[in-house]
Amino acid sequence: MTKIRQEWFSNIRSDLLAGLVVALALIPEAIAFSIIAGVDPRVGLYASFCIAVVIAFAGGRPGMISAATGAMALLMVTLVREHGLQYLFAATILTGILQIVAGWIRLGELMRFVSRSVVTGFVNALAILIFMAQLPELIDVPYAVYVMAATGLAIIYGLPYVTRMVPSPLVAIVLLTAISIYFGVDVRTVGDMGDLPSTLPIFLFPDIPLSLETFQIILPYAATLMVVGLLESLMTATIVDDLTDTPSNKSRECVGQGIANIASGFLGGMAGCAMIGQSVINVKSGGRGRLSTLSAGIFLLLLLLFFSDWVRQIPMAALVAVMIMVSIGTFNWDSIRNLRTHPPSSSVVMIATVIVTVATHDLAQGVLSGVLLSGFFFAHKVGRILVVKSQSGDEGRLRTYTVLGQVFFASADRFSQSFDYKEVIEKVQIDVSRAHFWDITAVSALDKVVLKFRREGADVEVIGLNEASATMVDRFALHDKADAEDLLLPH
Amino acid sequence: MNQSKKVLACVDQSPYADYVADYSAWAARRFSLPLELLHIIDRHPEIATSDDRSGAIGFDAQENLLNRLTEEEGQRAREIRERGRVFLNTLKQRCERAGTDNVDTRQRYGQLLDTLDEQQQDVAIYVLGRRGRSAAHTQRDLGRHVESISRNIRRPILTVASEFTEPKSLLVAYDGKRMTRGCISLIAGNPALADLPVHVVMSGRETAEAEKQLHWARETLARGGFSVETAYLPGDPEQQITRALSDRDIDLLIMGAYSRSPLKTLFFGSKTNDLLRASRVPTVTVHL
Repeated sequence: MTKIRQEWFSNIRSDLLAGLVVALALIPEAIAFSIIAGVDPRVGLYASFCIAVVIAFAGGRPGMISAATGAMALLMVTLVREHGLQYLFAATILTGILQIVAGWIRLGELMRFVSRSVVTGFVNALAILIFMAQLPELIDVPYAVYVMAATGLAIIYGLPYVTRMVPSPLVAIVLLTAISIYFGVDVRTVGDMGDLPSTLPIFLFPDIPLSLETFQIILPYAATLMVVGLLESLMTATIVDDLTDTPSNKSRECVGQGIANIASGFLGGMAGCAMIGQSVINVKSGGRGRLSTLSAGIFLLLLLLFFSDWVRQIPMAALVAVMIMVSIGTFNWDSIRNLRTHPPSSSVVMIATVIVTVATHDLAQGVLSGVLLSGFFFAHKVGRILVVKSQSGDEGRLRTYTVLGQVFFASADRFSQSFDYKEVIEKVQIDVSRAHFWDITAVSALDKVVLKFRREGADVEVIGLNEASATMVDRFALHDKADAEDLLLPH
Repeated sequence: MNQSKKVLACVDQSPYADYVADYSAWAARRFSLPLELLHIIDRHPEIATSDDRSGAIGFDAQENLLNRLTEEEGQRAREIRERGRVFLNTLKQRCERAGTDNVDTRQRYGQLLDTLDEQQQDVAIYVLGRRGRSAAHTQRDLGRHVESISRNIRRPILTVASEFTEPKSLLVAYDGKRMTRGCISLIAGNPALADLPVHVVMSGRETAEAEKQLHWARETLARGGFSVETAYLPGDPEQQITRALSDRDIDLLIMGAYSRSPLKTLFFGSKTNDLLRASRVPTVTVHL
């Protein structure tokens, strides 16, 4: 009970006002993202309403804003183009189901493998993609569009110096719309892009054949949408956690995203997820509780139903200005300044994530390559923590090797090269009590070393295999079996 | 009360803080335990303070916002901390003037119940005001925290409602059930209280067991070196015990607390709450 009161009603005034600010910024974004996906603005707007309202109740991070997003929209382009809108609704529902499953099996915990550099790369790639999506509106258009977009940006960033009581993006949109209507400027408007909502969303079942073939079409899309949706949602949740200094429930957020997408799919919306830019705007405007998310969704729909005739006449240039703002605000500019100071490996991971994402338009692939690269760099670094010292004894008949550090696939070669096989010797002691053998590569490297010494006619004794290494050796090693030599080293 | 731990006085910035300090200082002297004055600071990160409706995000939007929020909250926290420190020092001096030397002060962030619960291991007895700051502007005569604290914490809790008067005698509200028998044993094992006369009062419907139960209480306490007086007062426990308190000029009431489950309490009410509301004297509740 206290929790419900705390999450919903402890910050009512600020939450409602922040919700309104967010709703005003959501309209241009939802329209812009619908255009990216190649569907009517109606689809993105219904999705934004639906997802915001559902996630307010089902989400695990109060104060975070979820709606139709660019990252998701980019993944739907080919599905919509080749199979049509109904398949998009079906894919959206399937995405939701997959996300719920992911929440139940706590897939969110895999997020710990996503390093800071990958997150930065993700955010930067997202900002670049949002910016690139605006380019079609800026290339090959009348001169007036550039003037309008520039004026829009000037208002957005200039007005806060004068007053912070009204949302400057709203002022920019209203002013530009008024000017274009008054002077009859001939530029593209939102109305040219497709249908806007005129009623409340209605429940509809996707009009698709329920067959295995359909499933095979939508599954790859749904799987990618699930991954990207959860990635962006969990990253945004972490950002909101940091900003507000409060914890969130990540598994509940995964399930919540799933429920929200299922609802969106059945109400004629596209798949969405949490939005970094909007969530930052929400927190900045004082939104902290679930009420801010709920009110954002409800205000969004109310504004559309009452002002759709006006929304239709908004020039696209005004939306472009708002989206450029979102892109600038989302981009992590620090990461550019840090390129020189951060270790090169982390910069490479960040840049690789950005490049792969921008090239494929798929944040999932970008993150995957970032994670693989950071794993590779990590293995490389840890593999260098390996020292083999040697000491002779017993008048040159005995040599003791002391191994310190980590032995695994990345360091196994260096490990076996650290021994001097040319020395004529009677007895070799290998002291591994201060080393760790992590995998079978390490164990077989030790095997090889032992066998090589045996072939030189030396007695080999391995001492001090600690508990972790011992279990590995016990399970996999061959050198204490009689015919080990034949098995490992072919003649 | 017999473990060598500490007396934990839980104070907030309400008029009750002085009473709590006085009584906890008394308890610390009585049992020769160190005293800790605890001020709990409730943080409300879920409440926003900013008035920025510009809705624009520019270069380094996230970093700037994070820095601004950190700065603002840090500023607020520093102010609250300083105020709390001054407040605690005043109370500490008050305790020292009353002759209690071993006084420590501490401030912690968190919820009242959680914070008290964390400390349970090191606490012999808790002292709290029967109402706190949050109840000051409501008409409630019993703070909303008292019940949840008493239910969750397995230590004696002294709740005070009025100015300090040195307790000269004790009254145990006794019903012969497990929890109040625990109270009797607890008192009997405390030689530090042996100079205070103990009244054991039973009330409620007449049962055959009553005489036997009272006999047990008398014997147990006498063995601990207490001077005991027992009485059986048929009738409504709340009225009878309140009357007994004033008739006998008692300054400290001891009782078992909340033996009924929360669900039963919902239907039948809680005798503990009735008594806490009715009695004007400080009360030790024991929920074992």
